[in-house]
Amino acid sequence: MDRTIGKNIIRFVSFLLLFLLLALPIMLLLLQWLTAGEDTVLLSIINRENLLLIGKSLLMSGIVALLATLTGTICAFLLYKFQFPFSGFYKLTLLLPLLISPYIFAVAWKDGFFWLLGNTAAIYSEAGVILVHTIVFFPLAMLITGSALSQIHAGYEEAGLMTVSFRKMMIKIILPLIRPALTISFLLSLIFSLSDFSVPAFFCVRTFTTEIFTQFSALYNFPLAIGQSVILLLICLLFMLSEARYLSDAPFFSVSVKGSVSKKYHAGNRKIMLHSFLWMLLVSSLLMPALMLTVQSLTGRTMFFAQAWELIRPAAFQSVKLAFAGACIITIIGLWTAYGKERRNHKLPDLLLLLTFIVPSTVLGIALIRHYNLPAVNFIYGTSLILLIAYLGKFGFIASRIIGNGIKQIPVSFEEAASVAGIPSKKIFLKISLPLLIPSLFTAFVLSFILCLGELGATMMVYPPGMELMQVKTFAISANAPQALTSSMTLINLGVTVFLILLLFVFGKWIFKKFQYV
Amino acid sequence: MYKITLEHIMHSYEDKEVLQDFSFSFEQGKRTCLLGPSGCGKTTVLRLVAGLEKPAKGVIKISETVVSENGAILIPPHQRKIGFVFQDLALWPHFTVYDNIAFGLKENKEKNVKGKVAELLDLFGISDKAPKYPHQLSGGQKQMVAIARSLAMQPEILLMDEPLANIDAHLKERILQHMKDIQRQQQFTMLYVTHDQKEAMNTGDYIVVMNAGKIEAAGSKEEISHSSSRFVRSFIKT
Repeated sequence: MDRTIGKNIIRFVSFLLLFLLLALPIMLLLLQWLTAGEDTVLLSIINRENLLLIGKSLLMSGIVALLATLTGTICAFLLYKFQFPFSGFYKLTLLLPLLISPYIFAVAWKDGFFWLLGNTAAIYSEAGVILVHTIVFFPLAMLITGSALSQIHAGYEEAGLMTVSFRKMMIKIILPLIRPALTISFLLSLIFSLSDFSVPAFFCVRTFTTEIFTQFSALYNFPLAIGQSVILLLICLLFMLSEARYLSDAPFFSVSVKGSVSKKYHAGNRKIMLHSFLWMLLVSSLLMPALMLTVQSLTGRTMFFAQAWELIRPAAFQSVKLAFAGACIITIIGLWTAYGKERRNHKLPDLLLLLTFIVPSTVLGIALIRHYNLPAVNFIYGTSLILLIAYLGKFGFIASRIIGNGIKQIPVSFEEAASVAGIPSKKIFLKISLPLLIPSLFTAFVLSFILCLGELGATMMVYPPGMELMQVKTFAISANAPQALTSSMTLINLGVTVFLILLLFVFGKWIFKKFQYV
Repeated sequence: MYKITLEHIMHSYEDKEVLQDFSFSFEQGKRTCLLGPSGCGKTTVLRLVAGLEKPAKGVIKISETVVSENGAILIPPHQRKIGFVFQDLALWPHFTVYDNIAFGLKENKEKNVKGKVAELLDLFGISDKAPKYPHQLSGGQKQMVAIARSLAMQPEILLMDEPLANIDAHLKERILQHMKDIQRQQQFTMLYVTHDQKEAMNTGDYIVVMNAGKIEAAGSKEEISHSSSRFVRSFIKT
């Protein structure tokens, strides 16, 4: 009995800590807004200008979500339902845009327009933001839909094919079965696009998120910034609540130990068409931006590249260290919340991470600043701890879901068999569950690491004075520096990110080979 | 030798009632088969006896000691002296055959672990498989390892949840005969869950036929064969 009480106390204290660190700042932001003076009441914020700005931001994000979901779903169908050479290569490379910070693509496309058309006017527009966001977010839809497709049992399709044509079977059987995945893809792309600050800010497009940043950081109009943040927060929460059931189980990466149960079709003579489509996508989403950056950075201006390297080198090491620490914390907390949800039915910590995941970066940043900018907690506000909290808030949910999917793959009977044999629960966790979870833990760590490395929205808001970070430095310098210097720094940023992804990929292959038990 | 008694057990999963006022005493040192269609509550009985589930209501006794009572587990699974063979076998994929069997012995600080494991491997004729991993074994070999593992801690009760569901008839018969010999020799109480009436008749000293969370009939093979219950007769025929 004493042991149960002890366990409950530990569980409660851990949850309380997570709540105090992450959820309380957001709740206090809401409370502050509700209880503050005249200027911040709802009616003064909901004016014509703000409503138009919200409408414009929602429309742009809606278009991005639609295009990203459509492109991602087509890719997922091709890559997860058809058998053809190099499909693994496409799966990996088409995923890269999601792992690279969106502003890198913004810089690349600006360079591309300058290179191709001689001016950048066309890209400095709403269309430019939509283009870059679609490129960045379609892999998310591909991932979620692909995961859903590979979980559809072959029998459903084969039974359908007995009575209707392939096309009809796809429309009548497969599409309804992946509807939750499509909804989640659309919703997440919409929320991510709505809350991204970097691309619209770079293209000088006024959106609700950039407006919040401007009011808070440039004009110091805190009441208005807080009021606007609350509206954006409420919009995102509304979207989240509409599909919370599906969202809390969104597959993201599923590290399967069982292999796919779904049916795969031979591409046959459609191979050329498939390769053409996928290459076209690969070129426009990854190769062309990389080429544009390289051309702009290196053609006749090697001195800029050398200068950029000198400027970014210390920041790069700092960023990698911080991302590593962030990923370690996120993976540990993700394991705790996922295990609690899947094995102990403790859903609150996971729900809390879902809440902070949905909160736009700038809003999270403002909430954290307002909460931690006090002398008593200056050890958080004035150090990199505040960044680690922000990263946990932004990416903890993704790690929790990846690990949660891994836990779901381990039959409960593995733990029960050990329990019957008299193994204490701590040892069952350490010797049975943990070794089987290594691939999922590694995937969660890698994804968190890469995402922390490229996070800009919250980082711009909360990074402590004196700290130099790669993404912030590149973004900040783009306002005043020559175009070639910006491009060089962005190219180095991209190079560092891709190099680390490849390094982790090689290490991951070894990990999966060693620890994935079939 | 342990006797198992279940008194007025009620159990449900979410809103679905699985066992309704289930009472029965399983004879010590005998082989009892729980027979019935899918979803009738056979596995639940096994899991309740093992202590993997709490009964919503009722009392479970093992050798006159109350082990579970009205929503509470009084004695945890590992202190009940039971072995459990799971339907999916639950062989730990990251352990070798040797480690799968030795794990419980090592963690419980038993003496002569190597000797005991070797004895079990020999008993089931799988000594050469000791360094292999589960995925390197055939279906029948996996069943043998799972059964050997369940016997490692020298249980007084052996619970088997359809462990031979996915193997061919010939191999099934061989393993069953082997199990019966071991049970006769070691005299543990054995509860065997199956939906196959032939397997039940072939395995059990006693048969308990279940339907929709209740006992339809219980008795020796002969008694079951001549049961007056319409359900039992139709189920035995199929």
